[in-house]
Amino acid sequence: MVLQAVFMLFSAMAVGAALAVVTNKNIFHSALFLVVALLGVAGLYVLLEAPFIAVVQVLIYVGAISTLILFAIMLTRRLMDASERQRNEQWFISAIVAVGLFIVLVLSVGQVHWPVVHTDVPENHLNRLGQDLMEHYVLPFEVTAVLLLAALVGAIVIARERTR
Amino acid sequence: MAFLSDLLVNLWNWIAVQLDQFLPSWATALVMLFAAAVVIVVFLLLTVMFLTLLERKVVARIADRIGPNRVGPFGLLQPIADTLKLIIKENTEPAKADHPVFRLAPAVVATAALMPYAVIPFGRGMVGSDVNIGVLYVISISSLTVIAVLMAGWGGGNKYGVLGGMRAVAQMFSFEVPLALSIGSVALLTGSLSLVAITEAQRKLWLIVAQPIAFLVYLLCGAAEANRAPFDIPEAESELVAGYHVEYSGVRFAFFYMAEYINMFTTSAMATILFLGGWQGPFVERVPILSIAYFLAKVYGLVFLMIWVRATFPRLRIDQLLDLSWKVLLPLALMNLLVTAVVDKVAAQVRLSSTLTIGVFWGSNLVLVGVVALVLYLSYRRKRARGLNPHYQIHWH
Amino acid sequence: MLKTQTITLNLGPQHPSTHGLFRMVLTMDGETIVCLRPVFGYLHRGIEKLAETRTYLQNIPLTDRLDYICSMTNNLAYVIAVEKLAGIEVPERAEYIRVIMAEFTRVVNHLVAIGALLNDLGTFFTPMLYCLRERERILDLFEMTCGARMTCNYMRFGGVAADLPEEFVPQAREVIAGLYYWVDDLERLLTANEILLVRLQGIGVLPRELAINGSVTGPTLRASGVPYDVRKAKPYSIYDRFDFKIPTLDEGDCYARYLIRLAEIRQSLHILEQALQDLPPGEVQTKVSRLLRPPPGDAYACTESPKGELGFYLVSDGGISPYRFHVRAPTLINLTVLPDLVRGLRIPDLVAIIGSIDIVMGEIDR
Repeated sequence: MVLQAVFMLFSAMAVGAALAVVTNKNIFHSALFLVVALLGVAGLYVLLEAPFIAVVQVLIYVGAISTLILFAIMLTRRLMDASERQRNEQWFISAIVAVGLFIVLVLSVGQVHWPVVHTDVPENHLNRLGQDLMEHYVLPFEVTAVLLLAALVGAIVIARERTR
Repeated sequence: MAFLSDLLVNLWNWIAVQLDQFLPSWATALVMLFAAAVVIVVFLLLTVMFLTLLERKVVARIADRIGPNRVGPFGLLQPIADTLKLIIKENTEPAKADHPVFRLAPAVVATAALMPYAVIPFGRGMVGSDVNIGVLYVISISSLTVIAVLMAGWGGGNKYGVLGGMRAVAQMFSFEVPLALSIGSVALLTGSLSLVAITEAQRKLWLIVAQPIAFLVYLLCGAAEANRAPFDIPEAESELVAGYHVEYSGVRFAFFYMAEYINMFTTSAMATILFLGGWQGPFVERVPILSIAYFLAKVYGLVFLMIWVRATFPRLRIDQLLDLSWKVLLPLALMNLLVTAVVDKVAAQVRLSSTLTIGVFWGSNLVLVGVVALVLYLSYRRKRARGLNPHYQIHWH
Repeated sequence: MLKTQTITLNLGPQHPSTHGLFRMVLTMDGETIVCLRPVFGYLHRGIEKLAETRTYLQNIPLTDRLDYICSMTNNLAYVIAVEKLAGIEVPERAEYIRVIMAEFTRVVNHLVAIGALLNDLGTFFTPMLYCLRERERILDLFEMTCGARMTCNYMRFGGVAADLPEEFVPQAREVIAGLYYWVDDLERLLTANEILLVRLQGIGVLPRELAINGSVTGPTLRASGVPYDVRKAKPYSIYDRFDFKIPTLDEGDCYARYLIRLAEIRQSLHILEQALQDLPPGEVQTKVSRLLRPPPGDAYACTESPKGELGFYLVSDGGISPYRFHVRAPTLINLTVLPDLVRGLRIPDLVAIIGSIDIVMGEIDR
């Protein structure tokens, strides 16, 4: 019962904040609401007894991605400039696409048979995760690493000051 | 005697037992949880108040002054006077501020500063919650601080604040990476991310002996994360006046001030736990209450070191700071992690004695330091060859 | 490079690193300074105009308030100008006392400059307080002689206001010996400090030509490799009697300016030793009317103040107050090269540069 209440709380937090992200006129506030939404999701992970995922969620999504978004807002926009128009001429088309996507997602979520395992979470799931990444999934892991490296190099090349 | 030897823990358990007699067990658990939170927060607030005094006194002594000595004996009541002043002061708020963000930022900063203490073991059996990913938790909380700093910098509607916020983000991002990597080698050796388990694993030997480089990297990055000199550029007084909290006054400013000192304490506490054996020390097994004394002594030692550094060194420039992080600390921490992994694995394979393993760690660390010194020296030579490092010969006329 | 929008940042007038009230309008690209526009005048007290309504003698305290760190050298420059205007002779002992006071003032100024520079770099007051502690010892000597520590009002036309007290010379010797030792100490603390080096070396390079074209003077000029010092170039008072050297450095950056100041402190101590050695007995003041009426005409006298060439241009119409009273303030002119120095650098560098060219707003705005 208590868990359910907490679940509702976190869900409301995530969903409400997510709504605020898209409805807010101030882009900086939107980014902050995104942080709240992500924190709500992290709370859900904690409820699912996946604290590692929760912490990683906070570390990467809140700590890195949201901060980068905030940072980018501060860098690219005219400082102290608050709100901006939220729509352009194509809002109608994108609304149709979004609604369509929503319907597809709802239908697929309703139709998929979700497997439920009735055992406890293994004690050493962290070790398992690490071993799996290094043994079974080493190729995707490495491919991701190379991709990120390429992105990093690309970013540096673009941002680099041409001195000579 | 047995009761006294572990006074705090036993007292705690006794209270819990008493409560249990007339409360349902979940209520007891809840009450004790809140009590623990209150105890930790109160302890931290008092610590912060007197850390400010300690810092002023130490800095004063280093600068050949006396320091605060008017309020109370040896100025001991100075922090109380300061706190009162900050509480009574008017909360100014700039008209152009982003008001909700501006008001929220101090609360977020203070919360983020207090949160790590949920998992930090102060002594044997004295930990809020022994999470098995405690280290990661502490690191991830520090990213909340970044958000709060950005909020403060932006919310004030002040360009100094925005600049300070941007500096803070650049700095905290850069230093989080080597920081996490240096903790990685600790996790590798102890086989756990739980702060309690890491402390227990250092019963025989502090990890600083096996991981001197990781310790140094951690300490530098920790100082940068906590915005301590010489890495205090986000709030550089002589450049950005106060950086991201330039527009704050009164209680709201006090929150930032408090968070800053708590962060310094957190960094020292984490360094103590990860590398200096946490609460481990002689006779801890027999007299567990000593553990908290050992822990605090080590933490205060590191705090003193940070204050000392602040009173002695100029601050770096932001680009130099990022250079240090990306070009020196990050490769160093990465190589250290690699070497630690290899040495650990090889030592386990060939069944080296633990003393020898330590020796090998020492040797590998020395080699690493040598390599870094060599690389730095070569780049220095190259710069000098290009005429960038002049000789500064005084001519007399 | 990715272009971001430039922002305008007002540094000052209230800012810890502007050494008074000084405003700089910065156009910045991120942290990089694209353009700097200095705005003076926040500390303008109308001293030059005020001086035209007061007698020559009454103007001496006004000069104290120009560069309030070194009132003695300001006094000296002014009285030399008046003496030139009115043709007043100065007794030998008074000349020696003037040199002693001027050189002590130079030490005081350079100590404050180095301390403030380190403060601007972010050292939390420690070197600053070490410097101020040593400065206090010299201020004790000033107080012993003229009763004031900062605004001394000590020099008079034709001499100085009062003779040195008996215990001055032994105590001055003690202070000098202590300073020799202590300057070495300061060097051990600072000169090879890695952070200090990366913060100061190669920052704010003032090329020789720009320094000359901008009429920069003082340590800032000498750090750019020009051996110009009024004490050698156009000796005033009795500076031609002493053995001292002018240090120069070729680099012209902040670190060079810092080194020059340390070297000049040592040279000043050397001069002081000689002056105390040769200090003759005798009068310290020739008789001059309190209501001085110099003959009509004009006079310009320049001296090497610790910050550069400090000159007073006086025009007399034969009355009791100057018809025109103009100050050639070294720091104002040194500051004119600032926009050229900071272009492309960052705020922390700007702060270091301002600290290293050593400004005092009291003298700039007058």
